[in-house]
Amino acid sequence: MTTETTRPTRPSLDDPRVAIPGSSSWYEPAPTPQTERQAEFLNLRDGEMFINMGPQHPSTHGVLRIIVKVNGEQVIDLDPVLGYLHRGVEKLCENADYHQAICYTDPLEYVSSLFCEAAPVAAFEKLMDVEVPRRAQYIRVLTMELNRIASHTLFQGWMALDLGGLTPILWSFIERDEIVDMLAALTGQKLLYNYYRIGGVNGDLNHEFMSRLGAWMSRAAKHIDSNLGLMNENELFVRRTRDLGTLDAATALRMGVTGPNLRASGVPFDLRRDRPYLVYPELEFDVPTRTEGDALARYLVRIEEIKQSIRIIDQVLHEMPDGPVMAKLPRLIRPRPGRAFGAVEGPRGVYGVYAISDGTDQPFRMRIHDPSFVHLQLVGPLTRGNLIADTMAVMASLDPVMGGVDK
Amino acid sequence: MSGLTTTWARLTPAGRALAVLLPIVVIGGAGTTALLVAFGGAIGATIGANIPIVRFLAASVITFLITVPTAFLLIYMEMKIIALMNLRIGPDRVGPFGAVMSVVHGLKVLMKEDYTPPSVDVPVFTLAPVVVYTASFMTLLVIPFAPALTSMNLELGLLYFFAVGGFGVVGLMMAGWSSFNKYSLLGGIRAAAQAISYEIPLTLSVVGIVILTGSLSLTAIVAAQSGSFLDWFIFRQPLAAIIFFIAITAESNRTPFDNTEADQEIVAGFATEYSGMRFGFFFFAEYVNVFIVSALFSAVFLGGSHAPINLPFHPEINVDLGTLGIGLPLLAGLAPVVGTILCAAPIWLFAPRVRTWQALLGGFLIFGGLSTAAIGVWAVAMLPPVADLLFFLLKTFTLVFIFVWMRGTLPRARIDQLMGFAWKWLLPASLLNIFATAIAVLITG
Repeated sequence: MTTETTRPTRPSLDDPRVAIPGSSSWYEPAPTPQTERQAEFLNLRDGEMFINMGPQHPSTHGVLRIIVKVNGEQVIDLDPVLGYLHRGVEKLCENADYHQAICYTDPLEYVSSLFCEAAPVAAFEKLMDVEVPRRAQYIRVLTMELNRIASHTLFQGWMALDLGGLTPILWSFIERDEIVDMLAALTGQKLLYNYYRIGGVNGDLNHEFMSRLGAWMSRAAKHIDSNLGLMNENELFVRRTRDLGTLDAATALRMGVTGPNLRASGVPFDLRRDRPYLVYPELEFDVPTRTEGDALARYLVRIEEIKQSIRIIDQVLHEMPDGPVMAKLPRLIRPRPGRAFGAVEGPRGVYGVYAISDGTDQPFRMRIHDPSFVHLQLVGPLTRGNLIADTMAVMASLDPVMGGVDK
Repeated sequence: MSGLTTTWARLTPAGRALAVLLPIVVIGGAGTTALLVAFGGAIGATIGANIPIVRFLAASVITFLITVPTAFLLIYMEMKIIALMNLRIGPDRVGPFGAVMSVVHGLKVLMKEDYTPPSVDVPVFTLAPVVVYTASFMTLLVIPFAPALTSMNLELGLLYFFAVGGFGVVGLMMAGWSSFNKYSLLGGIRAAAQAISYEIPLTLSVVGIVILTGSLSLTAIVAAQSGSFLDWFIFRQPLAAIIFFIAITAESNRTPFDNTEADQEIVAGFATEYSGMRFGFFFFAEYVNVFIVSALFSAVFLGGSHAPINLPFHPEINVDLGTLGIGLPLLAGLAPVVGTILCAAPIWLFAPRVRTWQALLGGFLIFGGLSTAAIGVWAVAMLPPVADLLFFLLKTFTLVFIFVWMRGTLPRARIDQLMGFAWKWLLPASLLNIFATAIAVLITG
């Protein structure tokens, strides 16, 4: 029987060549890598190290974990690790009836959850072949544009906060709070509205919503402009975002980027204009596009979209017809067997739902396409070669929401 | 034994404190008296022979004691001003307008667990906050609050300031290195790189002033700016003032140069692994630093304790209390009563719904305010150090406000932009400033 020698435990997992006092060899031999990441870990060159950011980190926009390989301050490689917020929403939707599925998709992009309702509702309406009343369509456009402004103002504040500015987030939260309050007056909820129904919306516009909206619209443009002055004219902000994380149009299209991030790269694709839904064809608005493709362009495109949304809301309020807000539908919905794709232009890009019906009252399969998931894969390529601080700027400019990424 | 414990249990908290403190005071007082009687002469002789050392020790202790309330005041200022800029309310729970909030924060930090993570380098980890805090409060020694209120009037005051102030970064490096944390390491290295880069333009920017005054003593520099506000060095050396301001912002790690503790990037930088009062020392040191660099800026560039304009007339309020004789105690006894009644009378007469005691209380408050203001005016007019200190603190806190304002407004600069700015712009500009000043001095003689 041989005597077992106990190897001293390694005090550090960071450096494979750490000296162990009292051990037989001067350096402990590097262990054989078991996984790909461990192999990468053990083959670090001189001066390089891994930094594990998240899932608890001040600026990862939710529970995202990023493994950053750095050489001093320079980022060599970056690897997002997903799944900390996975709830299996697609599977949950398969075991719920069509009305319940809407509230499961609601909390995906929790800062703009009306879009997460609009996409499945659009898909189910195609399955059911139901015509939405015109007033309900106008109400949907109105509330969605309000929600888009709420999301973009939040983005503006987060962008400043990730670059180290303290004040803009609190200023932009004022606008967001007013919008959220008026939507709460309409829907009864501040964050997860569950307002759209298959064939219409849940309840007509009420007096409190309209009075809050009127008061806000009278000062919205001025407020938003004054918030912008703090950032757009700031040399530090512009210098940190210009020419940072430049995304060219070909790469963007190849990666499946949509929304403001695509339009900032010079591709004027907007679902509201190119694949019109609801009453968007009757409304006048521009699709703000920039050609630079850097973080600043992505920021400015979103700011322009806020102004266009205010323009759309103005038109909607002038043209809204009277009438019912809900189509006549049976209480239990059983669409014909078939498949349908419903998509909306969300504040982050195309938010789509592909639903398959097998004729029962539950969707057979629901596939949710979330733009944040697509955009998150850009963080690595866009940050490589920049500094650690730029990781945050690129992340903020892509504006992912982890609730939608992990589903 | 049980009798003793029963007696102890019956005592109130105040009684217990007295029971513990009284013997200590009696025995300690008796011992001290005995010691003084026995060795008093020798002690006095030693002190008399080593006046500079005693003075240095006393000044150090006093500056150390000054820094704590200063830090509390600055923390409260920052909390409240940034809150107002953010359209928030800010601290409002403890004290009037939440003014005692920062003290409560300090006590909270004291009561927290002082945790040392298992993998840290314990001696260095423990020493780092001490080094940082000591470096920051020791620089306060040479600040000339007023000609009569300077702790140490060193001939090499400016040099001492930069040398001792530069020690702070050693503490940050120690904290970053010993914490066994990559965020701390990055923070410490950033601090070192930033401090070394900005130390050079900071030191070079004041060389022009040293040429003009011919002295490194801060008291001499302040004395050279006497006269109207046009004699201040900010108008005679504007380029140096700009360079100096940017450099002290970077030196004290304030926004937009707070890369060492950029919480969006490297969590809390060098302070990531610290908790309790050790973190408190880092936190305090930051605010003490802000106060000290503001004080230095106002001493070097804003005329220190000089008033902005020399008044053409000098108000003299001569109150010779000695001439009153027996009237003085009578006045001291009667004036508050008569003054209170006189101030209360209008309230009582013209506001019939106010009750008598309320009117008297209001009169007392008004009289208190008026007499305090009168004593203040007299002190400013007749006691030069009071007026000097007032002007100095006014300038210093204006600068502190500007620092807080910048923190509320600006985003953070990136580390490469920061370093590039120091080496590519500030360093050549400060050299240019020295050459221009030297040539001007040569030409004008």
